Amino acid sequence: MRRHALSWICAVTALFALDCGRSKSTTGGGEPETKTETKAPPAAGSAGPTKLSVAAIAIVDVAPLYLAKAKGFFTEENLDLTIQNTQGGAESVPGVISGQYQFAFANVISLLLAHSKGLPLQVIAAGNFSTGKAEDFGGILVPAGSPIKTMKELEGKKLAVNQIKNIGGVTVRAAMRKAGGDPDKIEFLEVRFPEMPARLGQKDIDAAWVVEPFLTVARNQGATVLDWNFADTAPSLMIAAYFTTRDYAKANPDVVKRFTAAINKGLSYAQDHPDEARAILLTYTKIDKPIADKLNLPVWTPEINRASIDVLAELMVQDKLVTSKPDVDALLK
Amino acid sequence: MRRRSGPPGPPSRAARALLGALGLAGVAAVFEAIPRAGIVSPDYLPPFSTMIAALGREAGAAPFWRALLDTIEGWALGLAIAVVLGSVLGVAIGSVRGLRAATASTIEFLRPIPSVALIPVAVLLYGAQLRSTLLLVVYAAFWPILLQVIHGVADVDPVARDTALSYRFTPWAKIRYLLLPTGLPYILTGLRLSAAVALILAVTAELVIGTPGLGKEIAVAMASSAVPAMYALILVVGLFGVAVNLGVRALERRVLSWHTSVRLEAAR
Repeated sequence: MRRHALSWICAVTALFALDCGRSKSTTGGGEPETKTETKAPPAAGSAGPTKLSVAAIAIVDVAPLYLAKAKGFFTEENLDLTIQNTQGGAESVPGVISGQYQFAFANVISLLLAHSKGLPLQVIAAGNFSTGKAEDFGGILVPAGSPIKTMKELEGKKLAVNQIKNIGGVTVRAAMRKAGGDPDKIEFLEVRFPEMPARLGQKDIDAAWVVEPFLTVARNQGATVLDWNFADTAPSLMIAAYFTTRDYAKANPDVVKRFTAAINKGLSYAQDHPDEARAILLTYTKIDKPIADKLNLPVWTPEINRASIDVLAELMVQDKLVTSKPDVDALLK
Repeated sequence: MRRRSGPPGPPSRAARALLGALGLAGVAAVFEAIPRAGIVSPDYLPPFSTMIAALGREAGAAPFWRALLDTIEGWALGLAIAVVLGSVLGVAIGSVRGLRAATASTIEFLRPIPSVALIPVAVLLYGAQLRSTLLLVVYAAFWPILLQVIHGVADVDPVARDTALSYRFTPWAKIRYLLLPTGLPYILTGLRLSAAVALILAVTAELVIGTPGLGKEIAVAMASSAVPAMYALILVVGLFGVAVNLGVRALERRVLSWHTSVRLEAAR
């Protein structure tokens, strides 16, 4: 019996050794990658392109990133870019902090929230902007035949946003204040964007804050626009940005500079060539072509709108997302 | 392996397959009829034929096949690691009485932790990569195998064990003639449970974390309001599940052809 057990213990250790060997080899595969990242900047021209991983959610907002890659703007800057599509800011921020991604895309409020919690993030490029007028890429919808005609009438009504304590909730409340209503009287509930057209169709909510492509989908099904809340919050409100960690930016200023140059070129290009932006949507999302042709694109420009970030930072205090105003200067460097 | 001893073997199997196909056709007909009859809006539940058309479009493009392979990789690799780990640890724990007592409460503590509760850990450790999927799949698939193997080892006939001891069986002979015949049915039962659980967790990881695979494609379809494509991909996951189950059953029939439970089933 004893020898029997011993033979099994041997087998166990042997298999563990095998498994350890496997996991070592996989981490081994990752290590040189991170090493080349830190080494590459000084040896840029000679040592081949710098490998980069960027986390971005597969939505309309990041079309310039895909366009810049397709147009070779990153290659021109000697960057070998991999776009990892994640499911949103909840993963991209920890992913960037832990170094799995060098850069990522997230909305301004998520960034300010993370920053005020002490996460050392730094914005390196603009993401996307509200059009600042009617026909924006996000807005407040009411179901077909709704009696609600003005923002003020939302008092005591059920309004769906994806996250109450984020850009949706904050900008809806700002729009309500602007209309002279009391934002605290809106009955907010959290619903995911893909479910919103159906919820509006069933009329079990009175209104919903919806972004593209669901805005167009819901309007095709009869919902109508009550208000463009981004435009009501600030002129050409910057919605999202590309970011990295302060440590990475400090250690790799050249890589950051090259990435920013390439994405800025992509932002301008996407703005000047909306047809190509719509076409690239069909490659990384599954949006139907008729919807992609019809939906409202955001504004893309490299100019970071500092004033609009200040507005959001102040609204965050007012709406009690944070206790003191986030340090906008530190986030922007 | 061909041991269809009972006279009504082949026709009954054909009949069963036919009935199964009829059942599937029935489900397809219901899914075609419900949206067409206007019971549910076709915007949210497209007719079955629309789903199939969307599936055709998906299958015509490379990303679909890459996603399918990614899911198969996450599932198979995770399951394989779980089976090896579970069998080895199970045999070790099962054959040493002290070890069994020492680990029992730990196992009972760790086992009920739902694998999905590890998603935040996976995201922090590995991000949207295969290793995140593997963490969830291995954790979920490991326990059924481990427990089955522990019980299997405990089930070795004491007389057989003593006989092996008296005849001074070599360790290999002990595995071959003592442990395997008793333990194999247990391992395969564990495998059948784990194979299904592994698929659920592989797709969950892809769907929630965004690791590459069919689950992620479903999430992208959802975020794009591509409803028919979303259903088409869900159908593929379902078919994959059916294939997994059929595969494990076939394996069971082959490997355990000598075992009473399989012989009884074949005779029926």
